[in-house]
Amino acid sequence: MATQSAQQLSANRMRLFKDRFARYGVTAGGVMVLVALLLIFFYLLYVVQPIFESVSLKKVNSFNLPESGQVEAVGMEEQAEIGYRFLRSGELQFFSLIDKNDRRSGDILLSETFVEPENVSSFAKTLPVNHQYAYGLESGEAVVVEPKFSVTFPETAATAATDKVERVITPRFEVKNDGQPLVVDENGRALEKLSYETDGDGMLFAAAVENSTLLITHFVAEENFMTGAVTLTPNYTEIPLNTAIDDIVVTPDLRQVIARRGNRVHVFDISISGNVTERELLPMRTRELGNATGMYLLAGASSVLLTHDTGKVSQWFEVPGDDGRQYQYIRSFDAGSPITEIEVEYYRRTFYTLSENGDMNIFHTTAEADLYRGKPAEAKVQAVMVDPRANYLLMKTAEGYGLYDVDNEHPEVSWSGLWQEVWYEGYPEPDYTWQSTSGSDDFESKFSLVPISFGTIKAAAYAMLFAVPIGLAAAVYTAYFMSPSVRRYVKPTVEIMEALPTVILGFLAGLWLAPLVEAYLPGFVAVLLLVPLAIILMAALWSQLPTQIKSKVNDGRAALLLIPVVLAVGWFSFEISPWVEQVVFDGDARRFITNELGVTFDQRNSLVVGIAMGFAVIPTIFSIAEDAVFSVPKHLSNGSLALGATPWQTLTKVVLLTASPGIFSAVMMGLGRAVGETMIVLMATGNTPIMDWNIFEGMRTLSANIAVEMPESEVGSSHYRILFLAAFVLFIFTFFFNTIAEFVRQRLRDKYSSM
Amino acid sequence: MCVTIYVKNTAHLSTKIEHERIYKKDFDELAKGSEFMISVNPSTSNMEKLDLHNLPAEQTALDIKNLDLYYGEDQALHDISMRIPKNRVTAFIGPSGCGKSTLLRCINRMNDLVEICRIDGEIELHGQNIYDKNVDVAALRRRVGMVFQRPNPFPKSIYENVVYGLRLQGVKDKRVLDEAVETSLRGAALWDEVKDRLNASAFSLSGGQQQRLVIARSIAIEPEILLLDEPTSALDPISTLTIEELITELKEKFTVVIVTHNMQQAARVSDQTAFLYMGKMIEYADTDTLFTTPSEKQTEDYITGRYG
Repeated sequence: MATQSAQQLSANRMRLFKDRFARYGVTAGGVMVLVALLLIFFYLLYVVQPIFESVSLKKVNSFNLPESGQVEAVGMEEQAEIGYRFLRSGELQFFSLIDKNDRRSGDILLSETFVEPENVSSFAKTLPVNHQYAYGLESGEAVVVEPKFSVTFPETAATAATDKVERVITPRFEVKNDGQPLVVDENGRALEKLSYETDGDGMLFAAAVENSTLLITHFVAEENFMTGAVTLTPNYTEIPLNTAIDDIVVTPDLRQVIARRGNRVHVFDISISGNVTERELLPMRTRELGNATGMYLLAGASSVLLTHDTGKVSQWFEVPGDDGRQYQYIRSFDAGSPITEIEVEYYRRTFYTLSENGDMNIFHTTAEADLYRGKPAEAKVQAVMVDPRANYLLMKTAEGYGLYDVDNEHPEVSWSGLWQEVWYEGYPEPDYTWQSTSGSDDFESKFSLVPISFGTIKAAAYAMLFAVPIGLAAAVYTAYFMSPSVRRYVKPTVEIMEALPTVILGFLAGLWLAPLVEAYLPGFVAVLLLVPLAIILMAALWSQLPTQIKSKVNDGRAALLLIPVVLAVGWFSFEISPWVEQVVFDGDARRFITNELGVTFDQRNSLVVGIAMGFAVIPTIFSIAEDAVFSVPKHLSNGSLALGATPWQTLTKVVLLTASPGIFSAVMMGLGRAVGETMIVLMATGNTPIMDWNIFEGMRTLSANIAVEMPESEVGSSHYRILFLAAFVLFIFTFFFNTIAEFVRQRLRDKYSSM
Repeated sequence: MCVTIYVKNTAHLSTKIEHERIYKKDFDELAKGSEFMISVNPSTSNMEKLDLHNLPAEQTALDIKNLDLYYGEDQALHDISMRIPKNRVTAFIGPSGCGKSTLLRCINRMNDLVEICRIDGEIELHGQNIYDKNVDVAALRRRVGMVFQRPNPFPKSIYENVVYGLRLQGVKDKRVLDEAVETSLRGAALWDEVKDRLNASAFSLSGGQQQRLVIARSIAIEPEILLLDEPTSALDPISTLTIEELITELKEKFTVVIVTHNMQQAARVSDQTAFLYMGKMIEYADTDTLFTTPSEKQTEDYITGRYG
């Protein structure tokens, strides 16, 4: 007896253990799911967060250089180890920026004088990307110098022992034209103001002589194909202007010279052969912006920056208009105090301004962002220089030089740039544009999430337009009208469709359906219109039939009669398609739509996506909605039928009402699937990030955008982080839809809950 | 539901011994109130007794003729013939699975919903066979209302539940609807309890109230015949009493057919009773006669609990 009860006890203990194990196991599983979800959420935030960080400056080093008179330009090489400066005295000095090996910061590494100090009349520098510098001489000549750096990894006894090779950067320089001065003014007048650019071989000088005369000298480079020697042929143009010239800039494509005298900014076009024509005069807005005080080119050389005595900086670039491309005022930035100097970055649209009150400002044009404002050094900053990688700033103050580590990784991203219309360089008007990369380094990235978010909604909307009527109608029919024996086969079959890999649907849509739709466009449109019409007609006809015929076919099988009707109408639609195309659309529906209706037609368009993605979404909607309708208690529908309701009345007044929470969640689940769907939209849309509801054009969705661009995005770049932001937006999208769905479902369930 | 009955039915056929045991048990429970068991409601006994087998046409509500019903291959009803008199309460009694609910559902063709169900024979309503090809089932069900075992109000307000049948017929006049709601709810003895909250959800009512609401909903469309399928089996004794009183009142306007599991209830509310066993009608007589002097041995065994 005692052992028996002991056995019972032990058995209970086992059961208790299983019970506990199951409980903790299930709890742990549930918690893990939540934790995983939160981790995804926070990881996305973690990657995205740096793009919204503000700029920070950190002093690395400070040093002094020997007193040397006026400094014309300061520069740095790529690794920010060596700096250089051009002096008014005609001297180039290389100096160490940091302490490394036997170099101390401030050590002069190399210096060279190219021009006698008394001969120097002016100085010019190219855009930072070209890093060439020119001295203008009293004799009307110019000397062009390019600082260069060689990087070596020398092996010494010490490095051989440690197996660690140190990088050694050696400065050097090159004087263009084999060290000879170039004759800019054939008349030998002093170059009072000079501007210079090069496109590699050709050179363009623009100079002011005799105060108000603009001199444009174009050296056309011709390469001797036998020897490879380059000969420079000068082409001189002289343009008298009435008043003193203040600023001149030359674009690096050597096609434009822009000269400013006071508030008058002249734009001159240079033809390939060297002919100069004055194109336009910028319509200055002095009332709004104040008087112009300086003129600079932004990286990429598409934009001109003008500084004004009000402390504003205005951005101008060419915009296509009725009279061709013309410069137009785009936007302005306010530095607060009149600006003495602007420094532009090598590749990005960031620029640094120095104001009279000692402030330094950092702006980004595309992002319309005011990134930094303040006094980085104790003393007033006289000059600032950014290194090619935009990681370091070199600042000159009265007390010496300071090297600053600048953390400004993602200036091009701002809330307004992501979600509002931005006027990009060369665009006729502000626009929402997604164009993340191009071939060139100084490309202005267009990171607007609006077109791809729009694309997501467009794709989902067209898919739902196709899937919701079919999915819900099929679900209602299967659950409510179909005989149970047929339903046993139909339901699992449709649900198997859900398991179909979407990549198969995607390539079928892109490679088979899209050309088919293009070839039989009238047929497809006819099918979409005629099939529902035929079904309704058939139903009307059926109700008119005499009872004797009707009674031969029971309700459950009557629907089978529709199959030949649908097939026949479909066949008919496709048969008449070429004929309709011939008669109505002059033989080519696509050309008719494009030319006569003025509607763009892409082969991979929303119609194809709607059908293909609709096909992928139908099983989701069908399965959930069918369950919802089928699980409406039979006693409710019987109650309605017993009151003399027809099956249709019972369906609309009782069954659908009771099933509405389930039907609503079916639609929302389908929408959630359509929003997140990737492969079908990737393969069948053409991935054009446009904003247009046109059914004959494609779109690019958030998910497809991530799939397309993530593999070629540099890790940690703004592009990379914005793709993560797109993922985050997608996450929020689905989160939002699901929350709304759950909320509405709860409300409906409370209202229509049955026993 | 009907399929379930059918399964039980075969169970009875195959294992008679077990079946006896079940009914013995049922009977022990019933025997606790054995004084009431055979007693007959005085109100019904005062009614004029009808000759059920030769009922004149003007007193006949329904005439069931040689009705056979099959679920697939199995026959659930065998050659049922009976006449159900007008403005009387007729009860069907019998053990579980005897076919009494199936018979009831035949009267408003609810069995049509069961795909494998097949019917031979006729049920005549005003001389017309309701199984004729040209009979509109919906129209038939408007004239033959039905109340089910479990209260099944729709997920709507009390008001909308009552006017549901009228709205189906296209009645839109607010005055007519309001009037119908009051009349029906009064008819179902529910008006006083709900008149202040007609727009409340029907689910806010208790089970007994819900069942009366369902009855009100059925009588709102003024059917000729009201079928009650074990209307009190899911209710507490007080609600049961209320509904039983209601049934007695209802017969003034409607012909009531009630299926019940509870013999006391049949004895209390019905004017005539049919005893069914294994799909066959064993005995059909006025309630007094059936419960006091049954002519068939099987009937006597059933009502006294000595089933055999």
